[in-house]
Amino acid sequence: MLKSTIELARYGIPWLGPAMAFLGGLALLAEGKGQWPAIAVIFGSVLSAGGIYSLLRSLRKGEKERALLDVRMLQSHKLASLGELTAGIAHEINNPLAIIGREAEWLEHLLSTMPPAEGVPRKELLESVREVGVQVNRCREITQNLLSFARKMEPIFQKVDVNRLVEDMVKLVETETQGKGIEIVRDYQQPMEPIMTDPPGLRQVMLNLLNNARQAIEGRGQITIRTRALEDGRVQIAVEDTGCGIPREHLPRIFDPFFTTKAHGKGTGLGLSICHGIVDRLGGRIWVRSEPGLGSTFVVELPAKPKRAS
Amino acid sequence: MDLVRILVVDDEEDFLETLVNRLNRRGMSAQGALSGREALKMMEEKEFDVVVLDVRMPGMDGLEVLREVKNRWPFVEVILLTGHGSVESGIEGMRLGAFDYVMKPADLEVLIEKIQQARERKILRES
Repeated sequence: MLKSTIELARYGIPWLGPAMAFLGGLALLAEGKGQWPAIAVIFGSVLSAGGIYSLLRSLRKGEKERALLDVRMLQSHKLASLGELTAGIAHEINNPLAIIGREAEWLEHLLSTMPPAEGVPRKELLESVREVGVQVNRCREITQNLLSFARKMEPIFQKVDVNRLVEDMVKLVETETQGKGIEIVRDYQQPMEPIMTDPPGLRQVMLNLLNNARQAIEGRGQITIRTRALEDGRVQIAVEDTGCGIPREHLPRIFDPFFTTKAHGKGTGLGLSICHGIVDRLGGRIWVRSEPGLGSTFVVELPAKPKRAS
Repeated sequence: MDLVRILVVDDEEDFLETLVNRLNRRGMSAQGALSGREALKMMEEKEFDVVVLDVRMPGMDGLEVLREVKNRWPFVEVILLTGHGSVESGIEGMRLGAFDYVMKPADLEVLIEKIQQARERKILRES
């Protein structure tokens, strides 16, 4: 905890300056003191948004290193403590982030209604202030992911027809794969006894896995969804794609939070770790088989009912 | 058992009216709101069990409303309705705590079943 406090201070203090410049400039701007305050506001907000972004990045990097050091201890324990840490930080960052976002919007409004004046590069100012908004949204997405990752919503176990739930999510993904050369193959075991599990949790897992499968396929390919009931009542759901596969060296880390190979800004690296957390809470397991170049298969296995009395 | 109290939120007036009427005829207590803001206002005044929420609305969109609802009334279950299914918004919606993400046109029987499951979930959570 101490280490993270130091980290917070180290990366937090640099953007306090720009933030002050931003607010000061804003005050002057409100009094109508011309173009320099406007520039201070924009610079301040760009820098402080940048500061917050780099703070999040550095936290992310720190967590990555920590995750590496950890020799695959019980994943769920790791996720829990990480959850507490990240939730605290994400909460603290959300407020200044919201203020920066609001002020940038206000600034954009002011700039766009300002009468043109000599020597004021209004177009550039507008572009720059819009970029602040974009980056603030990006930070907001990260903090929200962190929060949801940390949110400890106890699952509520309800009777679920697995095939129907899976099919609902497959249909949704199909609306986006249609006409794009991705074929969806359904292989559901019928009939199948309902199980007791958390429906929205399982939906979230399925959507993430299906979405990953879709993104793993470049050009043409196939996604196969299989459901099977085991003799003891457990249920397995497999999502198989003919996509790019996962390099062997990545396999041990793909369920780690923040681990991502997607392009910058495309993925937070939390999808699979959220899935892992949910499946874990449902008393199940999730694993992957993958052959680079041939594709991956994610398997979710769920008990017929939770082990804990409910 | 008390009637399920449902709030349907959709900016398409015809759709909203039809759905509210049908739900009421099927023995539920449904009301409608034409916007997110109106919905939040109604929720401040009255308790609902399940909110059926259109994702794409002018002004406050469905995901924003969902976030606000889950912040303020975490036990209220939200079913998202979407005209143009989008995986991204589906993931986002589920992540924000929606009970389900249903594509329009939703079959009334299917929707009613989902509403009942959502209601059951609320009761289980509160107990």
